[in-house]
Amino acid sequence: MKIKLKPLHYAIATLALAAFLPFFITNDYYMMLLNRVLINIIVVLGLNFITGLTGQMNLGTAGIFALGAYSSALFTKYTNLSPWLGLVTAIIMGVLIGRGLGYPSLRVKGVYLSLTTIGFGEVVRLLIANTPKLTGGTQGVRNIRPYHIGSYQFQTQKEMYYLFLVFTAIAFFCAWRIACSKWGRIFKSLRDNAEAVEMSGVDIASCKIKAFTVASIFGTVAGAMYAHYMGYINPSTFNLDLSTNYVIMLMVGGLGSVTGTIFGSAVVTILPEMLRFLGNYYQIVFCSIILLGAIFFPDGWVSAVTVLFKKVYQRAAKGHYAEGGE
Amino acid sequence: MRKVVNKRMESLLRVTEITKKFQGLVAVDNVSIDMKEHTIHALIGPNGAGKTTMVNLITGVLPLTSGKVEFEGRDITGMATHNIARQGIGRTFQNIKVFPTMTLLENVMVGGHEQAPMGMVKGIFDIKGSRKEERRLKEKAEAVLTRIGMYDLRNHLMKNLPYGRQKISEIGRAMMNDPQLILLDEPAAGLNPSERAELVEVIYKAYEDGYSFFMIEHNMDVVMKISDYITVLSFGRMIAEGTPGEVQSNEEVIRAYLGSRYVEQDKRRDSYVKSEWN
Repeated sequence: MKIKLKPLHYAIATLALAAFLPFFITNDYYMMLLNRVLINIIVVLGLNFITGLTGQMNLGTAGIFALGAYSSALFTKYTNLSPWLGLVTAIIMGVLIGRGLGYPSLRVKGVYLSLTTIGFGEVVRLLIANTPKLTGGTQGVRNIRPYHIGSYQFQTQKEMYYLFLVFTAIAFFCAWRIACSKWGRIFKSLRDNAEAVEMSGVDIASCKIKAFTVASIFGTVAGAMYAHYMGYINPSTFNLDLSTNYVIMLMVGGLGSVTGTIFGSAVVTILPEMLRFLGNYYQIVFCSIILLGAIFFPDGWVSAVTVLFKKVYQRAAKGHYAEGGE
Repeated sequence: MRKVVNKRMESLLRVTEITKKFQGLVAVDNVSIDMKEHTIHALIGPNGAGKTTMVNLITGVLPLTSGKVEFEGRDITGMATHNIARQGIGRTFQNIKVFPTMTLLENVMVGGHEQAPMGMVKGIFDIKGSRKEERRLKEKAEAVLTRIGMYDLRNHLMKNLPYGRQKISEIGRAMMNDPQLILLDEPAAGLNPSERAELVEVIYKAYEDGYSFFMIEHNMDVVMKISDYITVLSFGRMIAEGTPGEVQSNEEVIRAYLGSRYVEQDKRRDSYVKSEWN
């Protein structure tokens, strides 16, 4: 009997693989990288809704990420409450950002929206850096409490890894459900042709704001995770480079592809570390690889596999015809 | 799908003295149209007569300078486009506006988005409910596709379909919301004769199902064949209205739009036949 593989099977297999990964990694530094991958996956899952599906270039992800990190960190710092409540603060923050950032997207289009989002990211960073009384300014926030369950604290990299794996799995589930539902379809159609969607009776303004809100919530949640994971945050982390990196992750994974985000985040987070042996040349090699990817596999590196399969299949089919088959 | 066929004498769409000015240019000048229920109403006129502007005014894409638009007796003047669509007005576009990266079925299903009321957060966790909703939407889309004769193509990407098919699929997308009225903006433009025949068939079938159509069209074959009533615009003004027969013989319409050739065609055909005989 042939077993038909369903998305659920793939998900379980991937999760099992991810759960066993720490057993093969003894180096704490690599564990840290894995944790960063998990956080990045969540951010990119969100970004996928704005930039991948709805087609609005967002270069202000760092701002969203920063606001999430700071709202959760400062909340736990000042109120001395649990980081889990900080997570709720981050989600509320995400809703607010989504609304605030979604509105300009209704009026500003294309390149101008990208500029607006860059502005947003920079404004957030500068605001944080210049309000030292509230945020600690450029000194950052220190001693942010890690996540805990009861009195059990997640402190080592491996403990964190398993916690974040759960987070990422939940985030992935939500993103998958939205992207595969009528909402994913409407987001995609907005990218292709907004007027036609409007004429189908769909309130495109509210749809765009929805896309921004979902993306912001993912971003702020990841930001909160980052803050409580690192224990220390400062505004210089959340610069334009970070935003660009997220767009690159999305591109490597394939715009609009939910599963691609895992691959994209992993590649863009880990590849530079792999290239460390190149010394000063690593940046140029890394950028060249990304550039070539963008030229040859604009639908993401994952699409390379599909393209290859198609080529092989076509060749096989051609051979079949050549042999006189029908 | 629609099946309730109404009486023909009630007003479905009534446009009263609408005017649209773009700065100094008067695109639509004091035009009134009274469209009856369950009819096919055509709007014709030379290029730049303001026909597409009319459709944009009715659907709220452009704001009116003055005048009033009523649909089934309700005032829809100044409503947002998506709200006008929800009142029961569908539309197709002159330059097709489809979603090229999606399949035909998905394209049509987008049209029915409003028929599926479940919210986003509920949709994430209510797996069964959303699957049921999605299936209902899909079945409806398949029924619509069957009706417009494109069921077999449902899994093709839109961008891979020929122009004519893409154009007809817009009617399918509009039908998903069960509108009383569908506005067709030059549905036959760019279609070859056999596609045109297919289009006429699709429109006529839909008409029999109970849909009404308001149509802008340059192709006189199509207009004269299927419309019940015709309004003629020229330079933003209405110059004539009436049944196809009346409009065809209207002096001003011939001068402004149809051209004397259109009328003389019959005579020429007669003389050609005669010369054959002689």
